[in-house]
Amino acid sequence: MTTLQAALSGALVGGMFAVMAAGLSLTWGMLRVINLAHFGLILVGAYLTFELATSWGIDPILTIVLTVPLMFLVGAGLQWAFDRLGVEEFASLLVSFGLLIIVMQTVSNVWSADFQRMPGDVNPYATQSVSLGRFVFPAPTLIAFVFAVVIVVTADQVLRRTFAGRALRAFAEDRAVASAFGIDHRRLGMVLAGLSAASAAVAGMLFALGNAVTPSTPFEWIGVVFAVVILGGIGQVGGVLLAGVLVGTLSAVVSATWSPALSPLVLFSAIILALLFRPYGLLTVRGAR
Amino acid sequence: MLEVRDLEAWYLQAQALWGVDLSVADGEVVCLVGPNGAGKSTLVKAIAGLHRSTRGTIAVDGVDVARVAAHRVGDHGVALVPEGRRVFARMSVHDNLVLGAYRRGARSGLDAGLARVHELFPRLAERSAQLAGSLSGGEQQMLAIGRALLAQPRLLLMDEPSLGLAPVVVDEVFDAIRTINADGVSVLLVEQDVERALEVSARGYVLAEGRIVASGSAAELTGSALVRRSVLGL
Ligand SMILES: Nc1ncnc2c1ncn2[C@@H]1O[C@H](COP(=O)(O)OP(=O)(O)O)[C@@H](O)[C@H]1O
Ligand SMILES: [Mg+2]
Repeated sequence: MTTLQAALSGALVGGMFAVMAAGLSLTWGMLRVINLAHFGLILVGAYLTFELATSWGIDPILTIVLTVPLMFLVGAGLQWAFDRLGVEEFASLLVSFGLLIIVMQTVSNVWSADFQRMPGDVNPYATQSVSLGRFVFPAPTLIAFVFAVVIVVTADQVLRRTFAGRALRAFAEDRAVASAFGIDHRRLGMVLAGLSAASAAVAGMLFALGNAVTPSTPFEWIGVVFAVVILGGIGQVGGVLLAGVLVGTLSAVVSATWSPALSPLVLFSAIILALLFRPYGLLTVRGAR
Repeated sequence: MLEVRDLEAWYLQAQALWGVDLSVADGEVVCLVGPNGAGKSTLVKAIAGLHRSTRGTIAVDGVDVARVAAHRVGDHGVALVPEGRRVFARMSVHDNLVLGAYRRGARSGLDAGLARVHELFPRLAERSAQLAGSLSGGEQQMLAIGRALLAQPRLLLMDEPSLGLAPVVVDEVFDAIRTINADGVSVLLVEQDVERALEVSARGYVLAEGRIVASGSAAELTGSALVRRSVLGL
Protein backbone atom coordinates (compact mmCIF):
# COMPACT_ATOMS: atom_id res chain seq x y z
CA MET A 1 0.00 0.00 0.00
CA THR A 2 1.42 3.38 -0.96
CA THR A 3 1.71 6.14 1.61
CA LEU A 4 -0.85 8.20 -0.29
CA GLN A 5 -3.33 5.33 -0.31
CA ALA A 6 -2.77 4.93 3.44
CA ALA A 7 -3.29 8.64 4.03
CA LEU A 8 -6.57 8.70 2.10
CA SER A 9 -7.87 5.55 3.79
CA GLY A 10 -6.91 7.03 7.15
CA ALA A 11 -8.76 10.23 6.36
CA LEU A 12 -11.90 8.20 5.70
CA VAL A 13 -11.48 6.28 8.95
CA GLY A 14 -11.24 9.70 10.60
CA GLY A 15 -14.81 10.25 9.44
CA MET A 16 -15.98 7.56 11.82
CA PHE A 17 -14.05 9.15 14.70
CA ALA A 18 -15.77 12.40 13.80
CA VAL A 19 -19.22 10.80 14.05
CA MET A 20 -18.25 9.34 17.44
CA ALA A 21 -16.88 12.68 18.61
CA ALA A 22 -19.58 15.05 17.32
CA GLY A 23 -22.19 14.32 19.98
CA LEU A 24 -19.62 14.21 22.77
CA SER A 25 -18.20 17.58 21.73
CA LEU A 26 -21.61 19.26 21.53
CA THR A 27 -22.93 18.05 24.88
CA TRP A 28 -19.62 18.93 26.52
CA GLY A 29 -19.50 22.40 25.00
CA MET A 30 -23.15 23.30 25.30
CA LEU A 31 -24.38 21.45 28.38
CA ARG A 32 -21.10 21.19 30.32
CA VAL A 33 -21.55 17.44 30.66
CA ILE A 34 -18.57 15.22 29.85
CA ASN A 35 -20.53 12.15 28.95
CA LEU A 36 -18.37 9.02 28.92
CA ALA A 37 -21.58 7.00 28.67
CA HIS A 38 -21.62 8.23 25.06
CA PHE A 39 -19.14 5.44 24.32
CA GLY A 40 -21.53 2.98 25.94
CA LEU A 41 -24.29 4.22 23.64
CA ILE A 42 -22.04 3.75 20.60
CA LEU A 43 -21.30 0.22 21.82
CA VAL A 44 -24.99 -0.55 22.26
CA GLY A 45 -25.64 0.95 18.83
CA ALA A 46 -23.07 -1.39 17.31
CA TYR A 47 -24.58 -4.43 19.04
CA LEU A 48 -28.13 -3.47 18.11
CA THR A 49 -27.09 -3.19 14.46
CA PHE A 50 -25.43 -6.60 14.77
CA GLU A 51 -28.50 -8.11 16.40
CA LEU A 52 -31.09 -6.58 14.08
CA ALA A 53 -29.08 -7.55 11.00
CA THR A 54 -28.26 -11.13 12.02
CA SER A 55 -31.50 -12.10 13.77
CA TRP A 56 -34.04 -10.09 11.81
CA GLY A 57 -32.24 -9.83 8.48
CA ILE A 58 -32.52 -6.06 8.32
CA ASP A 59 -29.98 -4.28 6.11
CA PRO A 60 -27.32 -3.09 8.59
CA ILE A 61 -27.47 0.52 7.45
CA LEU A 62 -31.25 0.57 7.74
CA THR A 63 -31.07 -0.58 11.36
CA ILE A 64 -30.60 3.07 12.31
CA VAL A 65 -34.27 3.63 11.49
CA LEU A 66 -34.93 1.72 14.72
CA THR A 67 -31.82 2.50 16.78
CA VAL A 68 -31.77 6.27 16.23
CA PRO A 69 -35.20 7.00 17.79
CA LEU A 70 -34.50 4.55 20.60
CA MET A 71 -31.15 6.15 21.41
CA PHE A 72 -32.67 9.62 21.19
CA LEU A 73 -35.01 8.69 24.02
CA VAL A 74 -32.19 7.16 26.07
CA GLY A 75 -30.00 10.24 25.63
CA ALA A 76 -32.79 12.65 26.48
CA GLY A 77 -33.69 10.59 29.56
CA LEU A 78 -30.08 10.54 30.70
CA GLN A 79 -29.82 14.32 30.38
CA TRP A 80 -33.06 14.69 32.29
CA ALA A 81 -31.52 12.66 35.12
CA PHE A 82 -28.21 14.59 35.04
CA ASP A 83 -30.17 17.82 35.20
CA ARG A 84 -32.48 16.72 38.04
CA LEU A 85 -29.54 15.44 40.06
CA GLY A 86 -27.59 18.64 39.41
CA VAL A 87 -24.57 16.79 38.02
CA GLU A 88 -21.78 19.29 37.30
CA GLU A 89 -19.05 19.09 34.67
CA PHE A 90 -16.46 17.18 36.69
CA ALA A 91 -18.95 14.98 38.51
CA SER A 92 -20.49 14.07 35.15
CA LEU A 93 -17.16 12.53 34.16
CA LEU A 94 -17.27 10.18 37.15
CA VAL A 95 -20.98 9.40 37.00
CA SER A 96 -20.92 8.70 33.28
CA PHE A 97 -17.79 6.56 33.64
CA GLY A 98 -19.76 4.42 36.06
CA LEU A 99 -22.58 4.23 33.54
CA LEU A 100 -20.15 3.21 30.80
CA ILE A 101 -18.85 0.33 32.92
CA ILE A 102 -22.42 -0.78 33.69
CA VAL A 103 -23.31 -0.69 29.98
CA MET A 104 -20.20 -2.68 29.03
CA GLN A 105 -20.95 -5.30 31.66
CA THR A 106 -24.58 -5.56 30.57
CA VAL A 107 -23.57 -5.93 26.93
CA SER A 108 -21.17 -8.66 27.96
CA ASN A 109 -23.96 -10.50 29.81
CA VAL A 110 -26.34 -10.26 26.87
CA TRP A 111 -23.99 -10.96 23.95
CA SER A 112 -21.03 -12.63 25.77
CA ALA A 113 -17.49 -11.27 25.90
CA ASP A 114 -16.58 -12.77 22.52
CA PHE A 115 -16.01 -10.82 19.34
CA GLN A 116 -19.18 -10.43 17.29
CA ARG A 117 -19.11 -9.69 13.61
CA MET A 118 -21.99 -9.62 11.17
CA PRO A 119 -21.61 -12.52 8.73
CA GLY A 120 -21.08 -11.66 5.08
CA ASP A 121 -24.57 -12.74 3.99
CA VAL A 122 -26.26 -10.10 6.17
CA ASN A 123 -23.56 -7.45 5.76
CA PRO A 124 -22.77 -7.12 2.04
CA TYR A 125 -20.89 -3.87 2.67
CA ALA A 126 -18.02 -5.49 4.59
CA THR A 127 -16.49 -7.11 1.54
CA GLN A 128 -17.25 -4.40 -1.01
CA SER A 129 -14.79 -1.76 -2.02
CA VAL A 130 -14.87 1.25 -4.26
CA SER A 131 -12.08 2.14 -6.67
CA LEU A 132 -11.40 5.75 -7.45
CA GLY A 133 -8.62 5.98 -10.04
CA ARG A 134 -5.73 3.95 -8.70
CA PHE A 135 -7.03 4.06 -5.13
CA VAL A 136 -9.25 1.45 -3.51
CA PHE A 137 -11.44 2.16 -0.48
CA PRO A 138 -13.38 -0.34 1.61
CA ALA A 139 -17.09 0.47 1.45
CA PRO A 140 -17.56 0.73 5.27
CA THR A 141 -15.05 3.55 5.69
CA LEU A 142 -16.40 5.37 2.65
CA ILE A 143 -19.94 5.10 4.02
CA ALA A 144 -18.75 6.30 7.42
CA PHE A 145 -17.14 9.32 5.84
CA VAL A 146 -20.30 10.24 3.93
CA PHE A 147 -22.32 10.00 7.16
CA ALA A 148 -19.70 12.12 8.95
CA VAL A 149 -19.93 14.89 6.37
CA VAL A 150 -23.73 14.85 6.38
CA ILE A 151 -23.99 14.85 10.20
CA VAL A 152 -21.35 17.52 10.75
CA VAL A 153 -22.60 19.85 8.02
CA THR A 154 -26.20 19.50 9.19
CA ALA A 155 -25.29 20.10 12.84
CA ASP A 156 -23.14 23.08 11.91
CA GLN A 157 -25.91 24.67 9.85
CA VAL A 158 -28.51 24.06 12.54
CA LEU A 159 -26.26 25.72 15.14
CA ARG A 160 -25.60 28.67 12.85
CA ARG A 161 -28.97 29.34 11.32
CA THR A 162 -31.86 28.15 13.45
CA PHE A 163 -33.42 29.63 16.57
CA ALA A 164 -32.66 26.42 18.46
CA GLY A 165 -29.03 26.51 17.35
CA ARG A 166 -28.55 30.10 18.42
CA ALA A 167 -30.32 29.32 21.68
CA LEU A 168 -27.83 26.52 22.38
CA ARG A 169 -24.86 28.76 21.70
CA ALA A 170 -26.31 31.50 23.87
CA PHE A 171 -27.05 29.02 26.61
CA ALA A 172 -23.46 27.73 26.48
CA GLU A 173 -22.20 31.28 27.04
CA ASP A 174 -24.54 32.68 29.68
CA ARG A 175 -27.30 30.52 31.09
CA ALA A 176 -28.97 33.21 33.17
CA VAL A 177 -29.24 35.77 30.38
CA ALA A 178 -30.30 33.05 27.95
CA SER A 179 -33.19 32.14 30.23
CA ALA A 180 -34.23 35.80 30.43
CA PHE A 181 -34.73 35.60 26.66
CA GLY A 182 -37.04 32.63 26.90
CA ILE A 183 -34.59 29.75 26.59
CA ASP A 184 -35.80 26.70 28.48
CA HIS A 185 -32.51 24.98 29.21
CA ARG A 186 -34.15 21.77 30.39
CA ARG A 187 -36.03 21.13 27.17
CA LEU A 188 -33.22 22.28 24.90
CA GLY A 189 -30.68 20.23 26.85
CA MET A 190 -32.78 17.09 26.51
CA VAL A 191 -33.18 17.61 22.77
CA LEU A 192 -29.44 18.14 22.30
CA ALA A 193 -28.52 15.12 24.45
CA GLY A 194 -31.10 13.08 22.53
CA LEU A 195 -29.59 14.08 19.19
CA SER A 196 -26.12 13.36 20.50
CA ALA A 197 -27.21 9.87 21.54
CA ALA A 198 -28.87 9.42 18.14
CA SER A 199 -25.51 10.17 16.52
CA ALA A 200 -24.00 7.52 18.80
CA ALA A 201 -26.44 5.01 17.31
CA VAL A 202 -25.20 5.97 13.84
CA ALA A 203 -21.57 5.73 14.97
CA GLY A 204 -22.23 2.27 16.37
CA MET A 205 -23.78 1.14 13.10
CA LEU A 206 -20.83 2.52 11.14
CA PHE A 207 -18.38 0.72 13.40
CA ALA A 208 -20.24 -2.60 13.16
CA LEU A 209 -20.29 -2.29 9.38
CA GLY A 210 -16.54 -2.76 9.09
CA ASN A 211 -15.37 -4.23 12.39
CA ALA A 212 -15.87 -6.96 14.93
CA VAL A 213 -17.00 -5.65 18.30
CA THR A 214 -16.52 -6.83 21.90
CA PRO A 215 -17.85 -5.33 25.14
CA SER A 216 -14.45 -3.75 25.85
CA THR A 217 -14.11 -2.04 22.45
CA PRO A 218 -15.01 1.42 23.91
CA PHE A 219 -11.58 1.54 25.55
CA GLU A 220 -10.07 1.59 22.04
CA TRP A 221 -12.19 4.61 21.11
CA ILE A 222 -11.90 6.84 24.16
CA GLY A 223 -8.35 8.11 23.64
CA VAL A 224 -8.68 8.90 19.96
CA VAL A 225 -12.19 10.35 20.21
CA PHE A 226 -11.27 12.62 23.13
CA ALA A 227 -8.27 13.78 21.14
CA VAL A 228 -10.57 14.58 18.22
CA VAL A 229 -13.00 16.49 20.47
CA ILE A 230 -10.30 18.59 22.11
CA LEU A 231 -8.33 19.17 18.91
CA GLY A 232 -11.50 20.19 17.11
CA GLY A 233 -12.40 22.61 19.90
CA ILE A 234 -14.94 21.59 22.53
CA GLY A 235 -18.44 22.32 21.26
CA GLN A 236 -17.26 23.05 17.71
CA VAL A 237 -18.80 20.50 15.45
CA GLY A 238 -16.98 21.65 12.31
CA GLY A 239 -13.66 21.21 14.08
CA VAL A 240 -14.54 17.62 14.87
CA LEU A 241 -14.52 16.64 11.19
CA LEU A 242 -11.22 18.40 10.51
CA ALA A 243 -9.63 16.88 13.60
CA GLY A 244 -11.03 13.44 12.81
CA VAL A 245 -9.56 13.52 9.32
CA LEU A 246 -6.17 14.73 10.59
CA VAL A 247 -6.00 12.15 13.35
CA GLY A 248 -7.11 9.35 11.03
CA THR A 249 -4.61 10.34 8.36
CA LEU A 250 -1.71 10.70 10.76
CA SER A 251 -2.22 7.36 12.47
CA ALA A 252 -2.66 5.56 9.15
CA VAL A 253 0.49 7.11 7.67
CA VAL A 254 2.58 6.31 10.76
CA SER A 255 1.26 2.74 10.79
CA ALA A 256 2.03 2.27 7.09
CA THR A 257 5.47 3.85 7.01
CA TRP A 258 6.87 2.96 10.45
CA SER A 259 4.86 0.60 12.55
CA PRO A 260 1.32 0.40 13.93
CA ALA A 261 2.83 0.16 17.41
CA LEU A 262 4.31 3.65 17.08
CA SER A 263 1.07 5.18 15.86
CA PRO A 264 -0.44 6.17 19.26
CA LEU A 265 2.88 7.58 20.44
CA VAL A 266 3.33 9.82 17.40
CA LEU A 267 -0.36 10.70 17.32
CA PHE A 268 -0.64 11.91 20.90
CA SER A 269 2.69 13.73 20.75
CA ALA A 270 1.43 15.58 17.70
CA ILE A 271 -1.86 16.39 19.43
CA ILE A 272 -0.08 17.78 22.49
CA LEU A 273 2.09 19.92 20.22
CA ALA A 274 -0.95 21.17 18.31
CA LEU A 275 -2.72 22.11 21.53
CA LEU A 276 0.29 24.08 22.73
CA PHE A 277 -0.24 26.38 19.76
CA ARG A 278 -4.04 26.20 19.62
CA PRO A 279 -5.23 25.51 23.17
CA TYR A 280 -8.91 25.95 22.25
CA GLY A 281 -8.84 23.74 19.17
CA LEU A 282 -7.61 23.93 15.61
CA LEU A 283 -10.27 26.34 14.39
CA THR A 284 -10.22 28.74 17.34
CA VAL A 285 -7.72 31.55 17.15
CA ARG A 286 -6.48 33.07 20.37
CA GLY A 287 -8.80 35.69 21.85
CA ALA A 288 -11.94 34.58 20.04
CA ARG A 289 -13.01 32.70 23.13
CA MET B 1 -47.69 47.85 34.18
CA LEU B 2 -45.47 46.82 37.09
CA GLU B 3 -46.45 46.60 40.76
CA VAL B 4 -43.83 45.31 43.17
CA ARG B 5 -45.28 44.74 46.64
CA ASP B 6 -43.45 44.04 49.86
CA LEU B 7 -40.56 42.34 48.09
CA GLU B 8 -37.82 40.63 50.06
CA ALA B 9 -34.86 38.87 48.49
CA TRP B 10 -32.09 36.65 49.79
CA TYR B 11 -28.70 35.33 48.79
CA LEU B 12 -28.72 32.14 50.85
CA GLN B 13 -29.06 33.47 54.43
CA ALA B 14 -28.17 37.05 53.59
CA GLN B 15 -31.17 39.27 53.02
CA ALA B 16 -30.67 41.85 50.24
CA LEU B 17 -34.13 43.50 49.97
CA TRP B 18 -36.62 44.46 52.68
CA GLY B 19 -40.28 45.34 52.01
CA VAL B 20 -39.70 46.98 48.64
CA ASP B 21 -42.74 48.63 47.03
CA LEU B 22 -42.31 50.02 43.55
CA SER B 23 -44.49 50.64 40.54
CA VAL B 24 -44.13 51.63 36.91
CA ALA B 25 -47.20 52.89 35.06
CA ASP B 26 -47.90 52.21 31.38
CA GLY B 27 -45.61 54.32 29.22
CA GLU B 28 -43.63 55.71 32.14
CA VAL B 29 -39.86 55.98 32.66
CA VAL B 30 -39.00 55.40 36.30
CA CYS B 31 -35.50 55.48 37.68
CA LEU B 32 -34.04 53.53 40.55
CA VAL B 33 -30.97 55.06 42.13
CA GLY B 34 -28.85 54.27 45.14
CA PRO B 35 -25.31 53.51 46.22
CA ASN B 36 -23.34 50.40 45.27
CA GLY B 37 -24.61 47.30 46.99
CA ALA B 38 -28.02 48.82 47.72
CA GLY B 39 -29.83 45.97 46.00
CA LYS B 40 -30.76 47.62 42.69
CA SER B 41 -29.53 44.76 40.55
CA THR B 42 -31.14 42.23 42.85
CA LEU B 43 -34.49 43.97 42.40
CA VAL B 44 -34.13 44.11 38.62
CA LYS B 45 -33.03 40.47 38.44
CA ALA B 46 -35.99 39.45 40.60
CA ILE B 47 -38.39 41.20 38.21
CA ALA B 48 -36.72 39.57 35.18
CA GLY B 49 -36.95 36.12 36.77
CA LEU B 50 -33.19 35.68 37.24
CA HIS B 51 -33.28 35.89 41.02
CA ARG B 52 -35.87 33.53 42.46
CA SER B 53 -35.13 33.58 46.15
CA THR B 54 -37.80 36.14 47.00
CA ARG B 55 -40.97 36.76 48.98
CA GLY B 56 -43.69 39.25 48.05
CA THR B 57 -45.33 39.89 44.69
CA ILE B 58 -44.05 41.16 41.36
CA ALA B 59 -47.18 41.84 39.35
CA VAL B 60 -46.83 42.55 35.65
CA ASP B 61 -50.25 43.54 34.32
CA GLY B 62 -51.73 41.65 37.24
CA VAL B 63 -49.71 38.43 36.81
CA ASP B 64 -47.28 37.59 39.61
CA VAL B 65 -44.16 36.82 37.56
CA ALA B 66 -42.29 35.67 40.66
CA ARG B 67 -44.36 32.49 40.27
CA VAL B 68 -43.77 32.12 36.52
CA ALA B 69 -40.95 29.92 35.20
CA ALA B 70 -37.85 32.06 34.57
CA HIS B 71 -37.90 31.49 30.80
CA ARG B 72 -41.56 32.52 30.61
CA VAL B 73 -41.23 35.93 32.25
CA GLY B 74 -40.47 37.47 28.85
CA ASP B 75 -43.86 36.29 27.61
CA HIS B 76 -45.42 38.73 30.06
CA GLY B 77 -43.72 41.64 28.33
CA VAL B 78 -40.55 42.06 30.39
CA ALA B 79 -37.08 42.33 28.84
CA LEU B 80 -33.74 42.94 30.50
CA VAL B 81 -30.65 44.95 29.64
CA PRO B 82 -28.40 43.34 32.25
CA GLU B 83 -25.72 45.02 34.30
CA GLY B 84 -22.38 44.69 32.53
CA ARG B 85 -24.16 44.20 29.17
CA ARG B 86 -23.59 40.44 29.04
CA VAL B 87 -23.89 40.15 25.27
CA PHE B 88 -23.14 36.70 23.85
CA ALA B 89 -19.49 37.41 23.01
CA ARG B 90 -18.87 34.42 20.74
CA MET B 91 -21.97 35.07 18.66
CA SER B 92 -22.29 37.64 15.90
CA VAL B 93 -24.09 40.94 16.41
CA HIS B 94 -26.85 39.68 14.14
CA ASP B 95 -27.22 36.41 16.06
CA ASN B 96 -27.39 38.28 19.37
CA LEU B 97 -30.26 40.35 18.03
CA VAL B 98 -32.07 37.35 16.56
CA LEU B 99 -31.73 35.61 19.88
CA GLY B 100 -33.59 38.49 21.48
CA ALA B 101 -36.63 37.42 19.46
CA TYR B 102 -36.32 33.79 20.58
CA ARG B 103 -39.50 33.64 22.63
CA ARG B 104 -42.43 32.45 20.56
CA GLY B 105 -44.46 35.63 20.82
CA ALA B 106 -41.61 37.73 19.40
CA ARG B 107 -40.50 35.72 16.38
CA SER B 108 -43.02 37.08 13.92
CA GLY B 109 -41.75 40.59 14.66
CA LEU B 110 -38.11 39.72 13.94
CA ASP B 111 -37.66 41.59 10.65
CA ALA B 112 -39.46 44.72 11.79
CA GLY B 113 -37.56 44.62 15.07
CA LEU B 114 -34.19 44.31 13.34
CA ALA B 115 -35.04 47.28 11.11
CA ARG B 116 -36.07 49.35 14.14
CA VAL B 117 -32.89 48.55 16.06
CA HIS B 118 -30.69 49.28 13.06
CA GLU B 119 -32.45 52.62 12.73
CA LEU B 120 -31.90 53.34 16.42
CA PHE B 121 -28.26 52.20 16.38
CA PRO B 122 -26.90 52.32 12.80
CA ARG B 123 -23.54 51.08 14.04
CA LEU B 124 -25.06 47.70 14.83
CA ALA B 125 -26.09 47.36 11.19
CA GLU B 126 -22.52 48.06 10.08
CA ARG B 127 -21.14 45.51 12.51
CA SER B 128 -23.81 42.89 11.87
CA ALA B 129 -21.46 40.00 11.03
CA GLN B 130 -18.85 40.83 13.67
CA LEU B 131 -18.52 38.84 16.89
CA ALA B 132 -20.16 40.70 19.76
CA GLY B 133 -17.03 40.18 21.86
CA SER B 134 -15.04 42.32 19.43
CA LEU B 135 -17.28 45.39 19.85
CA SER B 136 -16.38 48.43 21.93
CA GLY B 137 -18.10 48.87 25.29
CA GLY B 138 -20.56 51.38 23.87
CA GLU B 139 -21.44 49.16 20.94
CA GLN B 140 -21.97 46.23 23.28
CA GLN B 141 -24.35 48.36 25.32
CA MET B 142 -26.28 49.24 22.17
CA LEU B 143 -26.38 45.55 21.32
CA ALA B 144 -27.66 44.65 24.78
CA ILE B 145 -30.43 47.23 24.38
CA GLY B 146 -31.21 46.10 20.83
CA ARG B 147 -31.35 42.46 21.89
CA ALA B 148 -33.86 43.33 24.61
CA LEU B 149 -35.98 45.36 22.17
CA LEU B 150 -36.24 42.36 19.84
CA ALA B 151 -38.08 40.55 22.62
CA GLN B 152 -40.82 43.18 22.03
CA PRO B 153 -41.12 44.22 25.66
CA ARG B 154 -43.75 46.48 27.15
CA LEU B 155 -41.47 46.94 30.16
CA LEU B 156 -37.74 47.36 29.62
CA LEU B 157 -35.46 46.86 32.63
CA MET B 158 -32.12 48.63 32.21
CA ASP B 159 -29.39 48.01 34.77
CA GLU B 160 -26.75 50.76 34.66
CA PRO B 161 -26.64 51.16 30.88
CA SER B 162 -24.18 54.07 31.03
CA LEU B 163 -21.64 52.36 33.27
CA GLY B 164 -18.09 52.77 31.99
CA LEU B 165 -19.03 54.47 28.74
CA ALA B 166 -17.52 57.58 27.15
CA PRO B 167 -19.68 60.74 27.52
CA VAL B 168 -20.70 60.86 23.83
CA VAL B 169 -21.87 57.27 24.02
CA VAL B 170 -23.77 57.98 27.23
CA ASP B 171 -25.63 60.70 25.30
CA GLU B 172 -26.56 58.16 22.65
CA VAL B 173 -27.82 55.71 25.25
CA PHE B 174 -30.01 58.33 26.93
CA ASP B 175 -31.35 59.47 23.54
CA ALA B 176 -32.23 55.86 22.84
CA ILE B 177 -34.10 55.58 26.14
CA ARG B 178 -36.25 58.57 25.12
CA THR B 179 -36.93 57.11 21.68
CA ILE B 180 -37.79 53.68 23.07
CA ASN B 181 -40.16 55.25 25.56
CA ALA B 182 -41.75 57.35 22.82
CA ASP B 183 -42.53 54.04 21.07
CA GLY B 184 -44.70 53.21 24.08
CA VAL B 185 -42.32 51.01 26.10
CA SER B 186 -42.24 51.52 29.88
CA VAL B 187 -38.74 51.70 31.34
CA LEU B 188 -37.31 50.94 34.75
CA LEU B 189 -33.87 52.53 34.68
CA VAL B 190 -31.17 51.76 37.23
CA GLU B 191 -28.47 54.42 37.15
CA GLN B 192 -25.44 55.71 39.01
CA ASP B 193 -25.65 58.98 37.13
CA VAL B 194 -28.55 60.36 39.18
CA GLU B 195 -28.90 63.71 37.45
CA ARG B 196 -29.09 62.26 33.97
CA ALA B 197 -31.43 59.52 35.14
CA LEU B 198 -33.82 62.07 36.63
CA GLU B 199 -33.73 64.06 33.38
CA VAL B 200 -35.33 61.22 31.42
CA SER B 201 -37.59 59.93 34.19
CA ALA B 202 -41.03 60.97 35.37
CA ARG B 203 -40.51 59.51 38.82
CA GLY B 204 -37.77 57.89 40.82
CA TYR B 205 -37.01 55.68 43.80
CA VAL B 206 -33.97 55.75 46.04
CA LEU B 207 -32.81 52.40 47.34
CA ALA B 208 -30.30 52.14 50.19
CA GLU B 209 -29.26 49.01 52.05
CA GLY B 210 -32.13 47.04 50.55
CA ARG B 211 -34.90 49.50 51.44
CA ILE B 212 -36.70 52.23 49.52
CA VAL B 213 -35.68 55.36 51.44
CA ALA B 214 -37.23 57.99 49.17
CA SER B 215 -39.47 58.26 46.15
CA GLY B 216 -41.21 60.97 44.24
CA SER B 217 -41.40 62.89 41.01
CA ALA B 218 -38.18 63.67 39.21
CA ALA B 219 -38.55 67.32 40.17
CA GLU B 220 -38.92 66.48 43.88
CA LEU B 221 -35.94 64.15 43.86
CA THR B 222 -33.72 66.50 41.87
CA GLY B 223 -33.40 68.96 44.73
CA SER B 224 -33.58 66.44 47.52
CA ALA B 225 -30.86 66.52 50.13
CA LEU B 226 -31.60 62.89 50.97
CA VAL B 227 -30.84 61.80 47.42
CA ARG B 228 -27.58 63.67 47.42
CA ARG B 229 -26.58 62.17 50.73
CA SER B 230 -27.65 58.57 50.14
CA VAL B 231 -26.58 58.24 46.51
CA LEU B 232 -23.71 60.61 46.10
CA GLY B 233 -22.49 60.36 49.64
CA LEU B 234 -22.32 64.17 49.92
N1 LIG C 1 -24.44 36.61 43.89
C1 LIG C 1 -24.47 37.15 45.12
N2 LIG C 1 -24.22 36.39 46.22
C2 LIG C 1 -24.25 36.93 47.45
N3 LIG C 1 -24.53 38.22 47.71
C3 LIG C 1 -24.79 39.02 46.67
C4 LIG C 1 -24.77 38.53 45.32
N4 LIG C 1 -25.07 39.55 44.49
C5 LIG C 1 -25.26 40.62 45.28
N5 LIG C 1 -25.10 40.31 46.58
C6 LIG C 1 -25.25 41.22 47.72
O1 LIG C 1 -26.54 41.76 47.68
C7 LIG C 1 -26.51 43.14 47.98
C8 LIG C 1 -27.14 43.92 46.83
O2 LIG C 1 -26.34 43.76 45.66
P1 LIG C 1 -26.78 44.37 44.27
O3 LIG C 1 -28.20 44.07 44.05
O4 LIG C 1 -25.82 43.89 43.24
O5 LIG C 1 -26.58 45.92 44.49
P2 LIG C 1 -26.49 47.13 43.47
O6 LIG C 1 -26.92 46.64 42.13
O7 LIG C 1 -27.40 48.16 44.03
O8 LIG C 1 -25.07 47.59 43.47
C9 LIG C 1 -25.05 43.49 48.21
O9 LIG C 1 -24.83 43.51 49.60
C10 LIG C 1 -24.29 42.39 47.57
O10 LIG C 1 -23.09 42.15 48.25
MG1 LIG D 1 -25.92 46.64 40.37
